[in-house]
Amino acid sequence: MTRYQVRHRTSYAYDAPVTGSYGLAWVMPRRTPGQEVTEAAVTVVPEPEDLGVSSDYYGNEVRYFHVTVPHTELVVDADSVVEVEAAEPPRAMLDRSWETCRPLGSAEPGAWLAADFALESPLVEHPDSAREYAAVSLSPGRSIGEAVAELVHRVHADFAYRPGVTSVTSTVDEVFAARAGVCQDFTHLLLSCLRSHGLAARYVSGYLATTPPPGRERLVGADASHAWAAVWLGDDDWLAVDPTNDTRVDDRYVTVAWGRDYGDVPPVKGTVFTTASSSELTVYVDVQAV
Amino acid sequence: MSGLRDYAAARRELPLALDPTASGYDEVVAEDGAPRDAWRRLLAGYEPDLVDLPRVNAEIERMLSDDGVVYAPPGQRQRRWRLDPVPLVIEAAEWADLEKGLAQRAELLNVIVSDLYTDRTILSRGLLPPEVVFAHRGFVRSLARPGQEDLAPVTLAAADLSRDETGEWLVTADRVQAPSGIGFAMENRRVLSRVLPRLHREAAVHRLTPFFQTLRSAILQAAPDGVESPHAVVLSPGPMSETVYDQASIAASMGFPLVEAADLTVSSGCLWLRSLDGLQRVDVVVRRVDAAWSDPLELRGDSRLGVPGLSEAVRRGNVRIVNSLGAGVAENPGLMPFLPSLCEELLGEPLRLSSARTYWGGAPGGRDVLIDRIDELRMTSLDGRGVPSSAEDLRHRIETEPWRWVGQESRRASSMPALEGDRLTPHTVRWRTFTMRHGASYRPMAGGLVTARSTVGEQQVSKDVWIVKQDPADPDQGLSELMSVTALRTPPTLPPRARGDMYWMGRYIVRIEDTLRLWLLCHTLALDFHHRPGSPGGAALAVLRTTLRGLVSIPDTASETDDLRAALSDADRPGSVSQSVEQLTLLAQSLRDQVSPDLFRVTGALARALGSSRERTSDTYRGEDAETMLTGALALNGVSENMVRDAAWRLHELGRSIERASQLTHLLEPTLGRRRGPEVDREVLDAVLQVSESAVTHRRRYRGYVRVANVVDLLVLDAGNPRSLRFCVERMQQHLTALPASSGSTRPERLVDDLLALLSDADLAYLVVIEGEYRPRLRELLLTVQSQLRSLSEAVENVHLASGPWQRPIELPLVIEP
Repeated sequence: MTRYQVRHRTSYAYDAPVTGSYGLAWVMPRRTPGQEVTEAAVTVVPEPEDLGVSSDYYGNEVRYFHVTVPHTELVVDADSVVEVEAAEPPRAMLDRSWETCRPLGSAEPGAWLAADFALESPLVEHPDSAREYAAVSLSPGRSIGEAVAELVHRVHADFAYRPGVTSVTSTVDEVFAARAGVCQDFTHLLLSCLRSHGLAARYVSGYLATTPPPGRERLVGADASHAWAAVWLGDDDWLAVDPTNDTRVDDRYVTVAWGRDYGDVPPVKGTVFTTASSSELTVYVDVQAV
Repeated sequence: MSGLRDYAAARRELPLALDPTASGYDEVVAEDGAPRDAWRRLLAGYEPDLVDLPRVNAEIERMLSDDGVVYAPPGQRQRRWRLDPVPLVIEAAEWADLEKGLAQRAELLNVIVSDLYTDRTILSRGLLPPEVVFAHRGFVRSLARPGQEDLAPVTLAAADLSRDETGEWLVTADRVQAPSGIGFAMENRRVLSRVLPRLHREAAVHRLTPFFQTLRSAILQAAPDGVESPHAVVLSPGPMSETVYDQASIAASMGFPLVEAADLTVSSGCLWLRSLDGLQRVDVVVRRVDAAWSDPLELRGDSRLGVPGLSEAVRRGNVRIVNSLGAGVAENPGLMPFLPSLCEELLGEPLRLSSARTYWGGAPGGRDVLIDRIDELRMTSLDGRGVPSSAEDLRHRIETEPWRWVGQESRRASSMPALEGDRLTPHTVRWRTFTMRHGASYRPMAGGLVTARSTVGEQQVSKDVWIVKQDPADPDQGLSELMSVTALRTPPTLPPRARGDMYWMGRYIVRIEDTLRLWLLCHTLALDFHHRPGSPGGAALAVLRTTLRGLVSIPDTASETDDLRAALSDADRPGSVSQSVEQLTLLAQSLRDQVSPDLFRVTGALARALGSSRERTSDTYRGEDAETMLTGALALNGVSENMVRDAAWRLHELGRSIERASQLTHLLEPTLGRRRGPEVDREVLDAVLQVSESAVTHRRRYRGYVRVANVVDLLVLDAGNPRSLRFCVERMQQHLTALPASSGSTRPERLVDDLLALLSDADLAYLVVIEGEYRPRLRELLLTVQSQLRSLSEAVENVHLASGPWQRPIELPLVIEP
């Protein structure tokens, strides 16, 4: 078991006053079988007139806030202490052939819920490029564990990590064309590969604890939000994999929320009333083992 | 009815089966060529030929125009709504079956929607494949949260029906997102019952009004529990939407304010209307904006038609939406194949009203059916994305993801006669029915709206639906006891959007009148002096034409005839009479809940005269149209006479004063600012007095002796002449002071104070001083006033009309790993 103290600060600076700001934030780690949240606090500055906590469609904790004090800077701070245990899916589930893990038309328990993650979603289309790319790894009868591991490995090898070539609205086709992107692009790409063959896979947002290079001190605040994917194996078993780092998800990963794609669980989204023409976004994340 | 016999004869000779869209069943004429029973009874004891259909039709057109009934096909200019004189008549026995089927269907859809947003047992029990729901764009996940329960998400359902060759009515589409058409149906009935009074009375058909009244109660009863006197609003996407008439007429007749998103705000988790008296709590929203566009925070972030925070207010139970934001999931064509089994499971009874045969690609064998019949089925995708244009692409997409596709057998519809030109021709019939929640069950409207399409021509026209009572003594709509109707609140609260509309309505009304006066004067002078450009009258004509051109932004190169035609009839020219009338008509549409219906009579008359002026080839007759329009424009003044003296009226009057002042400066500067010799000047001064409707006053006061100083005095400085600048500015001051947002020192008030000071300080003798050809002091004063008025109008918009800055989405943080 590893314990982390997580600090996640999102701030917006505007070039003119904002008279009203409505926001939603998915910034609080969720409880899962392998993850316990022992401390949790979200603060918004300026103080919101209204702050609501609820559970979204996928069971993630979402904060709704409405700030009415005119402001030129808005800060959403999330602090938590999380205990994570590396949870491996049962061996037997990983050995199933991948074709049997498809939820559409299946009467297995949990299949009807998983079906939601086997369909196209707003940011994850199913272009032929993805379907063909994935077919190489999804050969008939192959075990799901092996097929997914190879696919993750190939995505890591074939696509360059390069910030700035994509945006939050980039499509799978664009990522294919660029052969590059950042973690959410690789995650969307992997989701498209798996879903276009009928598998159910969800987008997971969270954090990855970083280890400093040997001999260097860990830099506070150098961490960032992260994203990865989880594939349905049957029942309520999911295999979480990180295409950006070509690895299975273990106790270095803190899970915040999941959905069909980034659009279901962005850390913060909002609507503001302002004459400001531009805003500057700063994100600070620190994940410290304690 | 004249022509029915001919229709029947022609119908026999020209079998409709030849037309691929017609089923061969005719609603009026039976297979043997004789009228069907309903029509035989309807026409019994009646001399059919006495009803002169073309005359009735002309009367219908006139009434619809007077009521300003329009619709705008997507991406096109508004058109006049069209109603055919021959109604669809349904007999009591047939209706009895349909009524049960429609009520059951609405109840079933309601249960389905309710379940899909709470426990989703329909999916977990395997009654419906989950992908049918999950892939459909109407499924709004942000409202399907644990703990959310809504037992009545569907208050008003609509279903489109077509009759097949066997005579059976089938549902081709369910409309539960934000059904439109009730306003049109009500208007169709109002008009048809007046133009065919005897036929309507003797037919003993169900009146529609009780349905409408009950629907109003049903909407108010949808309010959250515990609200004693609920407030409802009608949320519209705006005046450019396709069914703006429908929305506005429902709002007007139910007494609910017609609002747009910017008129509403969410605060403390509740929904509020920004009224002139502050925030007013809203309990029920009759939603005419599609769910996806209703909340930019949680749904489409790029929407300006929605209210951020609306979903949160709904989830907290502080406001109810009619129909619920998630109801669109029941518009899913993929549900249709499952309705019979769902009905058995959920309601424990067989489905009474069938859907048109529909296949879902994800069903066993479904993909093969879609592929085999790809050319013949009407394909739709669950996610609402379009069907690829190439058959190849479509086939590929169906093969790879069959569960995304639904194919419906294209229904051949029954036919019936409708007037096309001066004779009755066969038209196919699509009938939109409406069913409302009534207590704990559902009740269909005995009536509806038919869209009829000609099978021989291009025509598309609407029809009324007459449901004949079993016994003439039966209660209308079967509603023997009307549910309590809460007293109408009048006038409805004025939302910020309507404040701006009121102000601009005032401006356009004056702009139409003043432009018409100038136009008519130019027109008269042109008739007299067209061939004598060298005469004083000819010179005056040239001066006034320049003035008119300036107002209507016409280039100097245009010919005289073109000038006049464009200034009157060119709708694309800013400042033209035609454009002002069009703008006024648009404003009137969205103010339908706020103003007297007389307004539409006048705008209708203006539009007709304009239409006629466009068709004129002779300039002489165009003048008659302009005279007709001026009469109409003067009648518009009566509309404001009858307004309640509230803040809305003040804004309207403020708009009028500002426009009149602005028109005056535009008239006086080019005419009086320059000297052209005594003879020409006299003609110009006469013309100016006529255009500014002050000739009589002038004659009385100055005994007909026309001098520049007198005219300037009368039209600029005289506080007693309602047509003077000074008078207008004083009126502005009065109205501004009385507005709720005024403090004595707001920018509009300061600007008006300045204007007034400018006019009080002006010295008449000084103003008319001549330098060379010009009167520079007068010109300077008029141009200063002109630009001050522009600033004033902007300031009024900012202080009194605006509802704050626009909303926009904030940048989303990109996820970047270490």
